[in-house]
Parts: sequence; structure tokens; C-alpha cells
Amino acid sequence: MVDIEKIEKRTIQSFYEDGLAEIALGLIVLLLGGYFFAKEVVSENSSFRAVLDVLFVLVIVFGFLANRILRFFKRRLTYPRTGYVTFKKKELSPKRRVATAVVAAIISASLAALYGLSPSFKALYPAVNGLLFGVAGLLFANKVGLMRFYVLAASSAVIGVAVTAAGIGDIKGIFLYYAIFGAALIISGLAALVVYLHRSPRPAADASEGPDAH
Amino acid sequence: MPTELHGLADIDRIIHEPARLALTAILSVVESADFLYLQRETGLTKGNLSSHLAKLEEAGYVTIEKTYRGRIPLTLVRLTDTGAAAYKAYRARFKKFLEKT
Repeated sequence: MVDIEKIEKRTIQSFYEDGLAEIALGLIVLLLGGYFFAKEVVSENSSFRAVLDVLFVLVIVFGFLANRILRFFKRRLTYPRTGYVTFKKKELSPKRRVATAVVAAIISASLAALYGLSPSFKALYPAVNGLLFGVAGLLFANKVGLMRFYVLAASSAVIGVAVTAAGIGDIKGIFLYYAIFGAALIISGLAALVVYLHRSPRPAADASEGPDAH
Repeated sequence: MPTELHGLADIDRIIHEPARLALTAILSVVESADFLYLQRETGLTKGNLSSHLAKLEEAGYVTIEKTYRGRIPLTLVRLTDTGAAAYKAYRARFKKFLEKT
């Protein structure tokens, strides 16, 4: 019997099979880490502060361009091997949109309140980042159903908590968290890409096209 | 006929065929997919895939668009609104049937 749910899930998983999405996210996370590192290293009066602002803008621009860059590489690596596919853009229902906004507001308010009550809370930033990314990653892994995403979600939490436990400061800690987690994403993506390229060689030139019947 | 089978008697036979069910299940998740993608995901031969897609197209469940990606010909398949509604109804009916039995 055809397992419909399995087919639907497998179709969603196929988008992440090549690891390119993880590599793109990993690069964004690494760039963020680089920004925090530069912020720590460059003194307040330095003229390099302007460069820092540019770097932050670059991170945002890269974030916006990531989807286009991803599609560029998919066109060259993925589509010729396993075929072209585009996924539906899911619009959140008004109820879910409100629920998401409320959850985000509660988290932001809680973090602001905790910081207001005790400035030493800043020391927990890496752990908080790691746990938030971890929870988001867990929800995403549950939706997609790929084991490596569960591992990445867990590693985010572990890295965040470990960096905080090491007590190396808030900004340095944040940099270290983003650097390690970004590297983990890229390594995971590259490993997936290598496996994908090995398993999916380019088919013969005519294979991307259906028979003339259509 | 046992009551739990009544719902199955008028089930959509276009979708019910395993290969076409797999195709509509895939197309229900994506915006569009090309011939190669569908062939790899279903494991069907070119001829089989082509004939199943033709049946789905005939029923108005999918549209098949012949286009080009650069110089490479591309056959894009999309589930129509009719196809999406039929698949949704099939899925719900079959799920109900499985729960009853």
C-alpha cells in the first residue's frame, strides 16, 4: 500500500538532501559571529567602527540574498541530478501569525526583564541563543524528519550552554557560539552535499526531459 | 456490502492507482516539479510516468508545461486546483476508511 504521509514527508526532505540550505545558514551564522568578534576586538573610538556597520549591513544583505544564492547553486548542482522542483510558499494563517507574534513578544519581554533585573544575565546570552536556536531547530527537525537536523538542534543547545559554562564573557561567548554552531552547520551541509553528489550522479543529457508523448 | 466499504466504492479511481497516488502526493507538497524529479521520486520508467501523467492531465488534475531552462528542455508538472481538491478528498476518505477498519 502507498504510504501517503511518508511520500509527502520524503518530498519535503528532498529539498534538504543536498545540504546547500545548511551551508547557506551556516555562512549567515558565521558572518554574525564575525560581526560580534569584530565588535569585541575593535575599540569604540576606532575608525574601523564604520567598517563594522558595513559588515552588519552585509550580513543582512547576505541573509536576503541567501535564497537567490541557494537557487543559483541548486540550478547548477541539484536540478541536473535529481530534477527541478519548487515548493509552495506557505502563508501563515492569521491565527498562527498572531500566535507567533505573541510567543516572540513574550520571549523578548522575558529576556529584557531578566536583563533589567540583573545585568549579569548578559553572561547567559550564549546559552539563551543556543537554547532558542535549539528549540527552533527541534521544531523544524520535527517538521522535516531528518535525523541530522535533530543533531544540529541538540548541538546548538549544548554549544550555547557549554560556552556560557566556560565563562568567557557575553560578546566573546556569543562570537564563540555563532562560530562553532556556524561551523557545525557548514560541516553538516558539506557532508550531506558529498553524500548527495556521490549518490546522485548526473544522468544522461536527455533524462531531464520527458518523452515526446507530452 | 459492509458499511465500511461503502465509502470505498465511489473512491476516485484516477488517484487511487498507486503510481498516480504517489504522483499526486508529491505534487500536493510542491509548487511544480519536472519530469526527472518525478521519475526519481516515484521510481517509474519514462513510459509509465508519461502515461500516468497523461491520465492525470486528462482528468484535469495536473497541468503539463513544456518549457526550457537555458537550452535544456524542461517538462513542468503542477497539480491543478481540481487535482488538489480531489487529492484532499481522497486522502480524507481513505483515512476515514482506515480508521474504521
